[in-house]
Amino acid sequence: MFLAVREMRRAVVRFGLLVLAIALLVFLILAQQALQEGLLTAFVGGIRNQSAPVLVYSVDGQRALQGSIIPPPLEEAVRRTDGVGEAARLGQSTFTVREPDGSLSDAAIVGADVAGLATPTALSSGARPEVAGEAVGSDADFDLRDEVTVPAAGPSAEPVTLTVVGLAADVQLNVTPTLFTDLATYEAAVRASNPDATEVLPNAIAVRPAPGVEVDELTERLSAASPEADALTRSEAADESPGVAQVRQSFQVIFLLYGLVVPLVTGLFFLIVTLQKSGALTLLRAMGARGSVLARSLLFQVVVIVGLGLVVGVALYASLTRVDLGFLTLRFDPTAVLVWSVLLMALGLGSALVAVRRVLRIDPVEATTGGGGG
Amino acid sequence: MRLALRELRRRPGRFAVATVILTLIALLLMFLGGLLDGLLASSTGAYRAQEADLVVYSSEARDSLVRSRIDGDVRADVEGVEGVAAVGGLGSVQLGGRPGGDPGSKDLVATVLFGYELAPRGLPDVAPPQGTVVADAALQAEGVDAGTTLLLGPARTPVRVTGFVDDTRYSGQGSLWGSLGTWRAVTRANRPGEAVGDDVVQALVVRTEGAAGVPAAIDAATEGATDSLTVAGAIEALPGVSEQRATFNQIIGVTVVVALVVVALFFALITVERTALYGILKAIGASGPTLFVGVVTQAVVVTLLASAVGAGAAVSLDAAIPPGAIPFEATTGRLTSSVILLLVAAVAGCAFSLRRVLRVDPASAIGTGG
Repeated sequence: MFLAVREMRRAVVRFGLLVLAIALLVFLILAQQALQEGLLTAFVGGIRNQSAPVLVYSVDGQRALQGSIIPPPLEEAVRRTDGVGEAARLGQSTFTVREPDGSLSDAAIVGADVAGLATPTALSSGARPEVAGEAVGSDADFDLRDEVTVPAAGPSAEPVTLTVVGLAADVQLNVTPTLFTDLATYEAAVRASNPDATEVLPNAIAVRPAPGVEVDELTERLSAASPEADALTRSEAADESPGVAQVRQSFQVIFLLYGLVVPLVTGLFFLIVTLQKSGALTLLRAMGARGSVLARSLLFQVVVIVGLGLVVGVALYASLTRVDLGFLTLRFDPTAVLVWSVLLMALGLGSALVAVRRVLRIDPVEATTGGGGG
Repeated sequence: MRLALRELRRRPGRFAVATVILTLIALLLMFLGGLLDGLLASSTGAYRAQEADLVVYSSEARDSLVRSRIDGDVRADVEGVEGVAAVGGLGSVQLGGRPGGDPGSKDLVATVLFGYELAPRGLPDVAPPQGTVVADAALQAEGVDAGTTLLLGPARTPVRVTGFVDDTRYSGQGSLWGSLGTWRAVTRANRPGEAVGDDVVQALVVRTEGAAGVPAAIDAATEGATDSLTVAGAIEALPGVSEQRATFNQIIGVTVVVALVVVALFFALITVERTALYGILKAIGASGPTLFVGVVTQAVVVTLLASAVGAGAAVSLDAAIPPGAIPFEATTGRLTSSVILLLVAAVAGCAFSLRRVLRVDPASAIGTGG
């Protein structure tokens, strides 16, 4: 170990470059893992973390909440289905809202006509809405008592003001500040932004099963209740939203490629270093050093270098998660850090086995014949 | 340089692992870039196809097409602005489409129907008659042919496809292009909450006579009721476009730095290994810069080889990915820019070895016996 440490001290630049390469790769992997999770949460957190176990879309919506429209016959078919405990009409759209200082911003507004159904499962602060115009807001975007107004789009329309009385975490939709309110307020917002609207139909029906009815069983019954119905469990509705699968697939390819680069870089480095010092290693073997001692020394260097790379990479990642990106929340994920650290360390050690094999194959006799020089 | 190339030919194994690593990095760069291009192409085609200078939204829409609403009075104000050559309405609605022969099908094609007046590239000057549309060519992969009738939305509103236009996807969906009348009728039947009056459109597409101040003049003429953007500005304002571009470019930037570090590391190690050899070469007259050019040549060759394999893999990936899966596009421009970035990283990475190559002392190198 003494020799291993000494060697690293004397070749700081070389080992430093490897630490830097591994650190950057670790940072990239973890940053993109956080980006994937942050993006998906910002896209569909409002579906994943709402209280209705089942959401019924129209087949036409293609599993996009805003794209689905529930005509009255479909709503009746859903309500008539055996096993439905509670059912709420659910409307959702994205609006331009005016803040008290006059500036404009975007907000997704979700409205439901049954209290406690299709609302955030838990509040991080404040209270649930009790009267029309009150809302629970995504806590990354709103503060308690914030007020926003959906402006009237014409002289025949009335503006609608929403007051934030409660906050909830991870409930954004479509990477937009999100407000959960009652259906009447939502419908008023639609008419404020489009006075020509002839009818405001719900986008989905939020359903809670009757006592004793399983969620999966109910979704099957609901989908069978009408050829227009597409009933999904809460997690299915989140995971099968348009774009979610593509985001996951794209990131998986990226992770695979980065995951391959780390062990290759580590393996290449230690193989070259081993080749370069094979003369010295042969001499050490001739002086009585056992092959296993030299191999352990090399593996010690791998652990130190990959470990340092991991520490620097995780530190960079931790700094990134403290930066406010505005539209997206990047969180420090200890599980991701642990999984990737173990995986990359294992891959790094695995990739160094070629160099270890070379060390173990060194024949001390070569020191007397001039071999082992490279 | 000849020596460097000869070494590459005679000892390719020495450079193999570095080439594999750089190939992976090249593929990563091209995949990330291709993903960005694919995402942008599938969400901006309808705007890129506009043969116009400006897109005018209502000011409270925050540059969102679906939230914008422009009535006849505002349009008249815009038409009256000096420098405005032509004005056309634009409207859109996103709906699922079923094949005409199977109204009960649950296998829907995601479409966005545009109503237009000023023809974008590749579309007829006069919008197709009521109930007929020109479809984006991407929809052919979904089984849509000329003559196909699509039933749009829950109301199953029929529209007949009369032809195709290239590269006009929008929001990740294949577009259908019809008249404003077709758009209004389909919207009213399927999305009553988004229905608009007969003189209302979502946005105006404006051709100007070239004067720079027209956007400001339009917004002034409408007393702030509009927000006029250049087409490029409107593309950048589409949801997610600038964020996607910024995020991907940052990831690509850090990946290029990784490539630089890998090249630096590899050639620093090789240079250490060759110190004695460089000493001998210097002793017989080779200059430091000549030797460094050899190192750079090797880095460039290795990088070009890695880039070629990476580009081949990226093109194969592009061909292999089925339509509707990952939005990946391997364009010549992207592949070329990735190769250039890698070459710059490779040459910069070699610079780490420059000092060591120049510092080699021929006398002491020969003295150590090589």
